[in-house]
Amino acid sequence: MFDTYVFTEGTCKNVISEGEAKGFQLQTLITYYRGIPCSMIHDIKVLVDGNEISREDIRFSPNGEDFFTLDELETVTTYKWEYGEQGTVYVVQPGGLSKGTHEVTLTITIRVAYIPVPFSGTRTRMVEIA
Amino acid sequence: MSKIKRSISMYSLQDQYARGKMNLEDIFQYLNELNAGLELISDQMIKGTPDPSKEYLAEWDRLVSVYRPTLVCNDVFINTCLYKNRTLTLKESTDLLIKEIKLTSRLGFPMLRMVSNTPAGIIEPALPYAIENNVILTLEIHAGMSFDDPLTQDYIEVMKKLNSPYVGLTVDTGIFCKRHPRVSTNYFRELGTNEEVIQYIDRIFASGTDPKRYFAKKAVDGDKFPEDLKKLIKNNNDLEYALFSTGYEMSDYHILDEYIPYIKHIHGKIYEMTEEGVEYSISYDEIIDYLTKAGYEGYISTEYEGNRFTLPDHPIKDKENVYAHQMMMKKYLGE
Repeated sequence: MFDTYVFTEGTCKNVISEGEAKGFQLQTLITYYRGIPCSMIHDIKVLVDGNEISREDIRFSPNGEDFFTLDELETVTTYKWEYGEQGTVYVVQPGGLSKGTHEVTLTITIRVAYIPVPFSGTRTRMVEIA
Repeated sequence: MSKIKRSISMYSLQDQYARGKMNLEDIFQYLNELNAGLELISDQMIKGTPDPSKEYLAEWDRLVSVYRPTLVCNDVFINTCLYKNRTLTLKESTDLLIKEIKLTSRLGFPMLRMVSNTPAGIIEPALPYAIENNVILTLEIHAGMSFDDPLTQDYIEVMKKLNSPYVGLTVDTGIFCKRHPRVSTNYFRELGTNEEVIQYIDRIFASGTDPKRYFAKKAVDGDKFPEDLKKLIKNNNDLEYALFSTGYEMSDYHILDEYIPYIKHIHGKIYEMTEEGVEYSISYDEIIDYLTKAGYEGYISTEYEGNRFTLPDHPIKDKENVYAHQMMMKKYLGE
């Protein structure tokens, strides 16, 4: 129902710092129809070629500048993930994604007050790393 | 002649906005072309809600002064689930509602809509702020969480007790579905929902009731679904289809009779406008006739929800559906 907004096409790439890849990132719109405080992001999961990235290695940024771990996100009430704004999911992974094609799946789960259980959007894309 | 007026909820144009196809200025122009009022979702299009920046408010003021939209209602949400480890207290939730009242007033709207399941205990303490800011508070009566919902009943009790012109209801016409929305059926069919489950739900509607009422009657105490439906549910899509089917109610229009004095706003839910120019599940000629005779003089706001049932990479026909619904209403309203 909100899957269409997950994982913006063409956004998955290695993040290079001081000449080497420290990890990779991808972008996504919110799986909802309004902006919410970041603390209401319930969970983020990333799968690469069928392997789940461990939770500790995932960071999220609502604005591309300030990044939070998933544990930290639970108290981030003053930053909103605005509707229509690309959120950035960063994965700490020395060396980044290897050259070639990867199957990458992103799942975003959020909590909202009037729906009794957190709900998710998910999308898999084939990603080419040059 | 009906005194009912037309508006459009920005729920309808969410995809246009998210994809950057329409900004607020485009939306104001669009509304003026259709001569329709604006129902905003401030969390959607006003960055930083409930505390937008001065710059953002200045831009809002500029657009309002240029396009002079009719500001009908602002949809707000009380984020009681702000924290993972606890629900907000009534005091915290009241403070959030007061902020939303002030923003709604600042933006120029005379009314706000709270989503179903908003705690009723925050209404009385927030009422003085609603009066001071001249903003009517309404709770949405939405299918799946409508008049029989305990939290809705709590609100109605408070509403009747306070008996204030500043406390009322927004009724969503999804409580008047005569059949299951076809776009939803097709969407779940594509995802792999079993035909037996689809037909089971269709038979309930064909028998003259809705899944929520039928399940409540036929399910064993504590169960969500009747035994014969449980046997048909084979995968998660079947389960979701059955669960979501309770979000389409088939109430009689006269369920509104006792609430008419409290009804401040109507959400004109649409899932799919057909080629014949009518909504597939909801009979608007009957609804408008009922509301007109009941003396309702507020707005019906087009709320297009077919967007939820569009598969990834398929076009969302939001503007087409909104246009068709507005034209249909014009006809029925005798404009």
